[in-house]
Amino acid sequence: MRILLVEDDLPLAQGLQISLRHQDFAVDHVSNGKDALNTLAFADHDMVILDLGLPDIDGLSVLKEVRKNKSAIPIIILTARDSVEDKVQGLDIGADDYLVKPFDISELTARLRVIERRLGTANSSIITIHNVVIDTLAHKVLVNEQVINLAKKEYMVLKLLIENAGRIQSREQIESHLYEWGEEVSSNAVEVHISNIRKKLPERFIKTIRGVGYTVEN
Amino acid sequence: MSIRRYLMLIIISIITLIVFIAAIQGYKASMLQAADLFDVQLSSFADTLISLEPQKNNIKVSSNDTLAFQLWSNNRLISKSSNTPQQAISSFKHGFSEHNFMGKRWRVFSLKKHNTWILVAQLLKPRFELAEKVILSAVTPIILTIPLLSIIISLIISYGLKPLQQLKEQLTKKNINDLSTINMEHAGKELQPIIDTLNRVLSQLDKAYEREKRFASDAAHELRTPLSVLKINAHNLQYELGSDNESLNNLMASVERMVHVVEQILKLNQTNPEQFSQQMKKIVLTPIVQQVIAQLYTDISARKQIIEFVDNNIEIYGNDFCIATLAQNLIANASKYTPLGGQILVSTLQHGENFILQIEDSGPGITEEEINKVFDRFYRIGGDCNNSKVIGCGLGLAIVKHIVVLHQGSIKLSISPQLQGLMVTVTFPSLLEHHHTVAKKTVEVHS
Repeated sequence: MRILLVEDDLPLAQGLQISLRHQDFAVDHVSNGKDALNTLAFADHDMVILDLGLPDIDGLSVLKEVRKNKSAIPIIILTARDSVEDKVQGLDIGADDYLVKPFDISELTARLRVIERRLGTANSSIITIHNVVIDTLAHKVLVNEQVINLAKKEYMVLKLLIENAGRIQSREQIESHLYEWGEEVSSNAVEVHISNIRKKLPERFIKTIRGVGYTVEN
Repeated sequence: MSIRRYLMLIIISIITLIVFIAAIQGYKASMLQAADLFDVQLSSFADTLISLEPQKNNIKVSSNDTLAFQLWSNNRLISKSSNTPQQAISSFKHGFSEHNFMGKRWRVFSLKKHNTWILVAQLLKPRFELAEKVILSAVTPIILTIPLLSIIISLIISYGLKPLQQLKEQLTKKNINDLSTINMEHAGKELQPIIDTLNRVLSQLDKAYEREKRFASDAAHELRTPLSVLKINAHNLQYELGSDNESLNNLMASVERMVHVVEQILKLNQTNPEQFSQQMKKIVLTPIVQQVIAQLYTDISARKQIIEFVDNNIEIYGNDFCIATLAQNLIANASKYTPLGGQILVSTLQHGENFILQIEDSGPGITEEEINKVFDRFYRIGGDCNNSKVIGCGLGLAIVKHIVVLHQGSIKLSISPQLQGLMVTVTFPSLLEHHHTVAKKTVEVHS
């Protein structure tokens, strides 16, 4: 996993590099927008951590430029701006995630892991949580080393929850992940899928946060 | 006194006065004309009499007749109309004069022909009557048009003062946070400089306000970046030195506290009424509360606490950032003060006209004396930060209170009947109470 860190504050960049290396990420650092664009043009990074307050080109412009070149590289924004508009703007332009300074390093690595899992570029395409193993390449789920059969939508729900382990997915989030726009969805579709998955998985593997959503604990 | 009323009063008074003076002048002029006319009549009457050479006797005329005559020859009355006395009605002197006889006032014309004096007289009353008639017929239409004139003048003044009225309307609908400039198409030469000056002041204010806002955001950036550096490097040190280094743990705890205080102070500034009263709208609580719980879930699940959200699809009139901050502070508080494995219950409900956000926990609750103090800034339950194991700065509830006031709501602390811990009840006024203001705003936008 090779990360490009775009951050103009040197002590922060150095600290982050050390932290991320502790977590076995490879990190290259550039300190302005121009260098970032140049580096991304030819180097082969898996994702970008982008500070918005850059000295030359504004971080949002860098983001726009990258997305203009049709690059789908995951980008996490780091910023000291935390207004709702700033967040919405960043996500609209095409950021994958948004982290407000000062953040917990564990929060950042958790989000990097989510992206890593989604990309399937981790050491393997296999994610293991407790005694449940999901192979995102082979589309297989193993419980206690036994393959279990899941319907397509059930597999999608489980994959979403496992990829985002430790975070709550609301019913709306799951729904929008499963169904295309305009597709008819019965009001309890997600509940039905979850209940079907639960029958095939260890007890309490999927937790319900009543009124909020579902989660799989790390 | 209003300019409009002042102008109306002055103009109508002046017009009335002028009409009155014109009427008097007209009366005088028509009086003179009438006199000339009658005098010509009188002298031609005298001429006619002479040529007739009346007989020497009394000529009977009606007592109402406006004409009378006497003929005197060598101081002897030779002929007269019956409405004259036996004495001469005027002195024997050529020309016009006025005299009283038979209880009336007459205009008399004397003329001498050969040895005969001809005295002809005419009543004065018809002259006045004629003059009055002439002047009345001239003045009546003018007097009658005064009310009509008033209405027209009033309309003209209203029209002339329209830019002033428009300016007044634009200014009244401006609230204290609206520093946009005033745009008026037909302001007129007199009002334009005032509007220009006003706009200059407004835009200066707006710039100053923007500067202040940018300063807050810049300050946040300046504080947040070094805090991030502190946090990350302390974290790295911990990784290298192991987690049982006491100095390092103290350092990390202090950094956490600092981060917390800075965040809360920034939130307090971000939720000030100047910035948010304009950004109030109808919001549904469900997604806001769900997101807040999702954000806090890592900490909550680390503390092995169970959180539940009982939602009733409540809509309130408010600002989503403020409401999220409020929910975040209250739910984070509940988690912090509730022991490991405890329970947190968040619910939204409608109670009569009001909408309620309620957060309950199974923690130790709160005592009567503390209820009033917790909303003070920097007050912390159980004394100073050092004495309790919970990270915090005592700003959280002050911010909550601040947001509640901003939304014209109320907040109540009590004991949860279900979980026996603290129960925080935030009540928002019904949407109906805001309908009026909202409707007013819509009208203003369209006008």
